[in-house]
Amino acid sequence: MKLIKSIVRPNKVDEVKAALEKLQISGMTVTEVRGHGKQKGHTAIYRGQEYNVSLLPKMEIEVVVPDSMADEAIKAIIEAARTGEIGDGRVFVIPVGESYKIRTGEKEG
Amino acid sequence: MSEPNSSPVSRPGPPPGPDPRVARAQRLEGARRELIAATQRGEGGRNALRQYSHRMDALVQQLFAEAGQASQPVAVFALGGYGRRELCLHSDIDLLVMFAATIGPPDEKFLHAFLNPLWDLGLTVGHHVREVPEGAGLEADNPEFLLALTDARAIVGDATLLDQFLAASNMARTATRTLDALKALIAERHAKFNDTLYQLEPDIKEAPGGLRDLFGAQTIAMLTDPILLGQGGAGPRALEDAEEFLLKVRSILHLEAKRHHNILGHELQERAAEVLRYSGASPRQRVERFMGDYFRHARSIDRSLRWALRAAPAPIGRNLVRAADGIRFVDARAAAERPETWLALFQAALDHDTAVSDDALSCIHQNAGRFAPEDFLPGAAHRDALLRFLKPRRGLYARLSEMHDSGLLGQMIPEFKAINCRVVRDFYHKYTVDEHTLLTIKNLERLADPARPERERFARLLTELDAPELLVLSLLLHDVGKWTDEDHATESTRMARQLFERLDLEQESRDFVEFLVSQHLKMSLVAFRRDTEDPEIVRQFADLVGVEDRLKALCLMTLADVEAVSRETLTPWKEELLWRLYVDTYNFLTLAYGDEVIDRDHSAHSALSANRPADVSAEEIAEFLEGWPRRYLQLFSPAAVFHHVRQARDIGPDAVKAWLERSDAGWELTVLTYDKPFLFSNISGVLSSFGMDIQRGFAFTKPSGPIVDVFHFTDEERFLELNEGGEAQLLKTLQEVLTRRLDVAVRLKGREEGAFRRRLPGFAPVIHCDNESSRRYTIVEIVAENALGLLYRVSRAMSELGCDVDLVLIGTEGRRAIDVFHLTRNGEKLTAAQQLEVTDNLQRVLEGRP
Repeated sequence: MKLIKSIVRPNKVDEVKAALEKLQISGMTVTEVRGHGKQKGHTAIYRGQEYNVSLLPKMEIEVVVPDSMADEAIKAIIEAARTGEIGDGRVFVIPVGESYKIRTGEKEG
Repeated sequence: MSEPNSSPVSRPGPPPGPDPRVARAQRLEGARRELIAATQRGEGGRNALRQYSHRMDALVQQLFAEAGQASQPVAVFALGGYGRRELCLHSDIDLLVMFAATIGPPDEKFLHAFLNPLWDLGLTVGHHVREVPEGAGLEADNPEFLLALTDARAIVGDATLLDQFLAASNMARTATRTLDALKALIAERHAKFNDTLYQLEPDIKEAPGGLRDLFGAQTIAMLTDPILLGQGGAGPRALEDAEEFLLKVRSILHLEAKRHHNILGHELQERAAEVLRYSGASPRQRVERFMGDYFRHARSIDRSLRWALRAAPAPIGRNLVRAADGIRFVDARAAAERPETWLALFQAALDHDTAVSDDALSCIHQNAGRFAPEDFLPGAAHRDALLRFLKPRRGLYARLSEMHDSGLLGQMIPEFKAINCRVVRDFYHKYTVDEHTLLTIKNLERLADPARPERERFARLLTELDAPELLVLSLLLHDVGKWTDEDHATESTRMARQLFERLDLEQESRDFVEFLVSQHLKMSLVAFRRDTEDPEIVRQFADLVGVEDRLKALCLMTLADVEAVSRETLTPWKEELLWRLYVDTYNFLTLAYGDEVIDRDHSAHSALSANRPADVSAEEIAEFLEGWPRRYLQLFSPAAVFHHVRQARDIGPDAVKAWLERSDAGWELTVLTYDKPFLFSNISGVLSSFGMDIQRGFAFTKPSGPIVDVFHFTDEERFLELNEGGEAQLLKTLQEVLTRRLDVAVRLKGREEGAFRRRLPGFAPVIHCDNESSRRYTIVEIVAENALGLLYRVSRAMSELGCDVDLVLIGTEGRRAIDVFHLTRNGEKLTAAQQLEVTDNLQRVLEGRP
């Protein structure tokens, strides 16, 4: 199993969700996050004064998928979230050792 | 000459008999004999005095009828004890003669004819003469008169004159002053008796626990809370007994002393005990029992007066008092019939940072359903009061909730009633639609509360809105369309228009509210779901909002709306996205608008042409508009555009067309002329030279054709108000300065020096040069402490360096001036060196260096 953690533009969440659902991946965790990568934010001007917007609002989407589906899921996320501009975000893939359902205690995968 | 309108008595014909004076004296004597007989039987109390007062009324009515005719409506009112129908044998006859208007010679004649016979009868008459318009100054009238007025009772003539007199007064202030005067008089009187009621030979009228104290307690209750004396003190029954006792004794004192005499001396104590049939073997025993009763009654009165002084709510408005449990009606029964006065109850609660009392709310709850929406807001003043009430401030949510819970809000605004307890099921909302709506207002109110500085950057936007009450009105209406399951923003807009009609809202306000209601979902959609880093998305959003005021209002509306969905909905993440969209759009509106120019194909042409007046051609409109920023069309109504077109006709290169108009917040100066060096600074300079404080404004220039400059300003020194011909003088000076016949610098010199001397320790000015935001212009943004002549000095500093001031946006927010200039030099943007030069020059000017 793989945990796929993607940081995307807020306006791309719906598209990423739709792309994952097409792959029958419906369980996911979506979190509002702020941060920066290479984009490093920028300096905005309001009424003649500069202010720093170094931490940019992004969305984090986490899904856990079987190893066999990981590549397909990663591809779908990248395609849905890409604009080609700086600030499109990142996808991290983390191996998952074990997974349990809390309600039943059942071990998965 | 006019007859009194509603005389309670018919005018009899000529009196029978040879001498009317004898007949009158006989009538009075008869009345006195009745009272004396009752007093001797020990029955000179309330009933006997009422009867005597009634007989006196008849005498007064007869004299009124016989006095001839006044030239206008007139009425006579009984005051004091006579007004309360407790006239004693030798009491003064206190009268108020009220005329409808200024008294003329026939009225004076009438007055003499009316009063002289009373004096002839040997009565001691205390009379006041007033004219209805004098009610306006009532609060400043003497305190004794104010107090006497509380017992006024119509005897004869047009009884409505007193209502008119009181209506002309400031009732709240008069009630407060009456109350204060009463308290002062009580303290002064008590001091004369060493503040004790236990007098061996008491003055039963003046001493503590005497009749004046009783009337004092009753007056306090009447002015503040009719049931006050039933809620504490000795209670109404004990007071009634005390009054009856004291009146009987007073009748005996007047009879025995044969004059106006109120001191219960030792001898008279014996006599009173005897007349009132006190038992006891000796006079001393009888007196002791009698005086025991006297002190018991005096204590009751004293206790009730102290209670009234301690517990009386404070009068704060017409028929309104502030009590411990909040604002309440003094006379709830009268208030129940006057729904147009109810909003004042909630306004008073807001003003005094308190609640509306439960009994006032239940009065409204019981009666609201009887009235139609227009009954609550029958006149323009009531509708204005509603808008004033809606200004966001601490307590507004609580007051609106009280109005809603008591049924008033829904009855006054039936559109709101449509969402009463409305349940809409979705994944986000946690409250019913009505409560969600009121919570949006609570969120806005929190931003406005200086005691709770939250979200400072958004809070500042709220202070910058011209009419924040329209934002609250928009919030109130934004979801009313949710009564149906259709597209609620469209339905809310339709319903809002119904309310506009009833409120007779100005067109500009209607447009503002309609924009906010119809677009209330747009900003969250763009901020949270669109790529706001794409300049095109921002441009489209800026196109939608058009001007900064709408942007600010929509931003605040979105913030308040999202926060009211549930406690968790408005995250710092969402706040940041919203703020960023606001800033990007604001910058687009103020910095990039110069690139968006009206061309011949602009869609606005067809709309304007379709509705143009007969004297303006479509070609003229197109020619006039071409080359200006599109923003021009967002700032001016079609009527203003047509006016500009007319004024621009055949305007010569040296001609100056300028006019002044009054606006809600002050004045507006419009100037149409061809561009010339120092034009903008000269216009600003002229306004400053008359002491005008420039608040907002715009300057539009295009390569060919005239310019339009508009300045909104306040007349701080009231020059235009106090000087007839002041407007003409200002416009003449402007003409002279713009045609170089007068140097504005000379006019300004003295004023500027004064202004510099008065400068408060402010904040450092900000000057920001921007060559990126616009393709055509270098933009200079200045944020500085507002000061007289500031615009003149900064624009002059730029012109002196050869810059053309092409576009200007002037704004003032509190003490801060926020001015954005679009500059070119020889038709080009400024180079880096030129920008530095401009910045240095501006810095020097703003710091007041030579």
